[in-house]
Amino acid sequence: MNNGKPKTIEIVQRSLVRRYRAERRFRRMGLGAIVLSLVFLGFLFASIVGNGYTALFQTQVQLDISFDPETFATGELANADYPRLIKEALYKAFPQVTARGERRALTGLVSSGAAFQLRQMVLADRSLIGTRRSIWLPADDDVDMLVKGHLSRQAGRLSEAQLAWIGQLQSQGKLAKHFNWTLFTAGDSREPELAGILGAVVGSFYTLLVTLALSFPLGVATAVYLEEFAPRSRWTDLIEVNINNLAAVPSIVFGLLGLAVFLGAFGMPRSAPVVGGMVLTLMTLPTIIIASRAALQAVPPSIRDAALGVGASKMQMILHHVLPLALPGMLTGTIIGMARALGETAPLLMIGMVAFIVDIPGGFTDPATVLPVQIYLWADSPERAFVERTAAATLALLAFLIVMNGLAVVLRRRFERRW
Amino acid sequence: METATEQRTLFTKEEIGVTTPEDSKPQHRPEKTLPADRAQDKPAPTVGKPFVDNPRMACRHVNVFYGDKHAIRDVSLDIGRNQVIAMIGPSGCGKSTFIRCLNRMNDTIEGCRVTGEILLDGQNIYARQVDVVPLRAQVGMVFQKPNPFPKSIYDNVAYGPKIHGLARNRAELDEIVETSLQRAGLWDEVKDRLSHAGTSLSGGQQQRLCIARTIAVGPEVILMDEPCSALDPIATGKIEELIDELRRQYSIAIVTHSMQQAARVSQRTAYFHLGDLIEVGRTEQIFTTPRHKLTQDYITGRFG
Amino acid sequence: MLKKTLQAFAAVILIWTGAAAPAMADAARDNLKIVGSSTVYPFATVVAEQFGKTSGFKTPVIESTGSGGGFKLFCAGVGVEHPDITNASRRIKPSEMDTCAANGVNEIVEVKIGYDGIVLANSRKAPPLKLTRRDMYLALARQVPDPSGAQKVVPNPYKTWKEINPALPASKIEVLGPPPTSGTRDAFVELVMEHGAESYDWIKALKKSDEKQFKAISQTVREDGAYIEAGENDNLIVQKLEANPKAAGIFGFSFLDQNVDKIQGAVVENVSPTFEAIADGSYPVSRPLFFYIKKAHVGRIPGIAEYVKEFSSEKAWGPDGYLADKGLIPMPDAERKQMAADVARMKTLAKDALK
Repeated sequence: MNNGKPKTIEIVQRSLVRRYRAERRFRRMGLGAIVLSLVFLGFLFASIVGNGYTALFQTQVQLDISFDPETFATGELANADYPRLIKEALYKAFPQVTARGERRALTGLVSSGAAFQLRQMVLADRSLIGTRRSIWLPADDDVDMLVKGHLSRQAGRLSEAQLAWIGQLQSQGKLAKHFNWTLFTAGDSREPELAGILGAVVGSFYTLLVTLALSFPLGVATAVYLEEFAPRSRWTDLIEVNINNLAAVPSIVFGLLGLAVFLGAFGMPRSAPVVGGMVLTLMTLPTIIIASRAALQAVPPSIRDAALGVGASKMQMILHHVLPLALPGMLTGTIIGMARALGETAPLLMIGMVAFIVDIPGGFTDPATVLPVQIYLWADSPERAFVERTAAATLALLAFLIVMNGLAVVLRRRFERRW
Repeated sequence: METATEQRTLFTKEEIGVTTPEDSKPQHRPEKTLPADRAQDKPAPTVGKPFVDNPRMACRHVNVFYGDKHAIRDVSLDIGRNQVIAMIGPSGCGKSTFIRCLNRMNDTIEGCRVTGEILLDGQNIYARQVDVVPLRAQVGMVFQKPNPFPKSIYDNVAYGPKIHGLARNRAELDEIVETSLQRAGLWDEVKDRLSHAGTSLSGGQQQRLCIARTIAVGPEVILMDEPCSALDPIATGKIEELIDELRRQYSIAIVTHSMQQAARVSQRTAYFHLGDLIEVGRTEQIFTTPRHKLTQDYITGRFG
Repeated sequence: MLKKTLQAFAAVILIWTGAAAPAMADAARDNLKIVGSSTVYPFATVVAEQFGKTSGFKTPVIESTGSGGGFKLFCAGVGVEHPDITNASRRIKPSEMDTCAANGVNEIVEVKIGYDGIVLANSRKAPPLKLTRRDMYLALARQVPDPSGAQKVVPNPYKTWKEINPALPASKIEVLGPPPTSGTRDAFVELVMEHGAESYDWIKALKKSDEKQFKAISQTVREDGAYIEAGENDNLIVQKLEANPKAAGIFGFSFLDQNVDKIQGAVVENVSPTFEAIADGSYPVSRPLFFYIKKAHVGRIPGIAEYVKEFSSEKAWGPDGYLADKGLIPMPDAERKQMAADVARMKTLAKDALK
């Protein structure tokens, strides 16, 4: 061997150290990236959960309400003076409060929605009239914030007297936090203690149902046609480029389109889930088409050969063999598209779905809003108590997204076949 | 007669991932051994006996083009009844392309054009009125890589009969499945697990399942495109026995890379070279006394 | 499996079209549609909710589109597809009335509902600001009168409050405020900036001689980083102020009212932005709020008259009403009474009244 030249193995070994170092560096960088994103995710979750979990509870006041028959003397149960029942109960609980201004401050401790709760109780059960019941009623949002520690005692939102009454109620065990069912059973409200996400959830459900019913069949049909039947020509290239472009169009543009076409040309109703669903369909279609085409392309040609080889027609080949194999990919694309649609507000702004809607929608054409819009509206509300409700609504949205993605995984498992 | 077909083709080769050897450039194109007339770009004349009495399929002046590429050059060859014909030749010689013409599987490849005449029982399969669906029921195909459907063993075999409506009821279908699996020599191994996935079988079993699937449709001709190239020697042995068995009932055309396999299973052998059919003859004759120099070079291992 | 899935989808589509078709044919509408200003939105929604709960009518649907956007929708025509009421944080413009008239919306009822104060506030952790409108103009305009006293404008040279007025703290000028699309911004420019600019006689003179020049001087907010556009979300501004005690923010009074434990309003010309001071008019930066009714819809869309009655009742817009709890500054008693009477008669707005 030539002494002047190092042996190959020596050169290799020298470079080996460097190679391994580079590999380790690469691995660490990858790990670092994952850790960093996990930290951000953790931070996001911690802040949302930290802000939102208190919204699961609502401060309530226990009052001895006597359903005085005199109040219902007029016979119209729906229009009886329910606030008076609450006032009477409060005055009885605090007999020392007599001045008019003070009494006003006292009744301010209980939510204005409490009267509606009594009204509903009486309408549901007439036999209450003439009885005396101890009932938990929602406290005003300022009281709620104070009890939860989100409002300092010095803030000035509550007077010294009010603070004293709250202390008294607390020591009597008549002021306590209870699970906030309202949050999940009510529509929107301007009183934080009465506001719930059900209206938005139902609106999201109707909207997404329309989106799914339209975009999945349309998207799959388009993908199958383009991938399996369309001859390669300048036209199909043009269509393909356009579909890819549509996938990148800002979502507000679809809202403008919806406003011009669905509301303008077709005269469909404003604020309706059916229109929202159609607009979101336009937005979701490109995603589904692209994912479905990729899924179709991923089906191995050997399966096509096998089907054609035993004499299957083209349609049979596609329906019996290619589509079932491509379905998991198509479903994944669809669910990703739907998840995006679930979180979308911008296109809905144009068609009037960003609105204050109290009544829970009962159909596809009732005015409705959706979860992300509800979050946006609450985030914009001045009342302090909406801060935690905003976070709670965000948690609900995240929960839906997790359920949808979980569904995607389950569907994949269910339909996935190996070959 | 020019019954050429510019079929409405649906896939590019890239799209369906077709990897016929013709697709790629031959890796070891034997430039030195080019026949003299190749240089003048004329198809080489076939030596030997390309024709038989009472053939099942008869190919006359078949040319195949992939776009500008002339992949099969004026090939005339008969597929005899109840016998096995082996197609051999170096990679890229056109043997797979040729066999895929026999049940029009090349239709799926964009830009592929076939001219000439291929007769099945006297009917040109490239005639305008011929439907590929019944043609492929008559001329079945087994592919290089075992490709069972991702379904149960039963469904794999039953699929063909189902779509063609060969069974009137479940009992008849069961019978077809059983006989097909028996003929493919797979029945004893799978009879207790017909509902298991076809893909759960071993490679050799999968290939026999594919053969059973082909048989189930009741074809007259079975085309096999290197059916053992992905299998181990034991599985290969079983398939070869099976081919010998099937010959009694079907006409078989097999493409193979293995000259030993061609020698073991076939009665006739056709040697292809760069799209030309060089020599056809009885198998023993081809392997003992080849008449063309290229054939001789190939079977003696000079190239290939 | 696939077949079932496809069938399920077909069924869903059928159900959907079945449900949608009759509803689309149904031309009548049984709920009020209200659009308009985001400033009026928090008040209108409270009224709508009360109205929905007590009246037996459906709760009105209220969209927050901004005053301008509201008028655009409102004036688009008469019919169920057009809104019945639009909220506004400013008066309707003659040009908007023209648009309305061109589309057949001839009779409009104007309802003034009260006042909104615009405040400049900072964190309670910092000392309160005591300002004049001239100070605010000098702090936030892009071009200000030459500090040397010459009658010309120079690019705003002021970096700290102290440079403007020695009585002010030496901290950097840093004001978070709404973007130009906001009604609050419009009002701030009109009530504070223009007024501050007019405190210089020679600029005031410009208003008559060269209105374009006057507008450029008085209405352009500086863009060198001292004024930070913080988006339409006032809650966000409050949070940012809390995190940055040196900064000040511009927003509506109701946000100050809800966050008095975190932020404090600047004293403007010796008046603090309190409920009482805005109500009696002594706090200088306040604006009236309105809504407009499409008279052609009254009687055709159920509930308009009742909704308006609820809005103009004492328990809503009175000094002790629930709107006052939400931060709406009520009108003086006499004005309120007059307005309630006018509204009950559905007195239409004449275009001349806008002059």
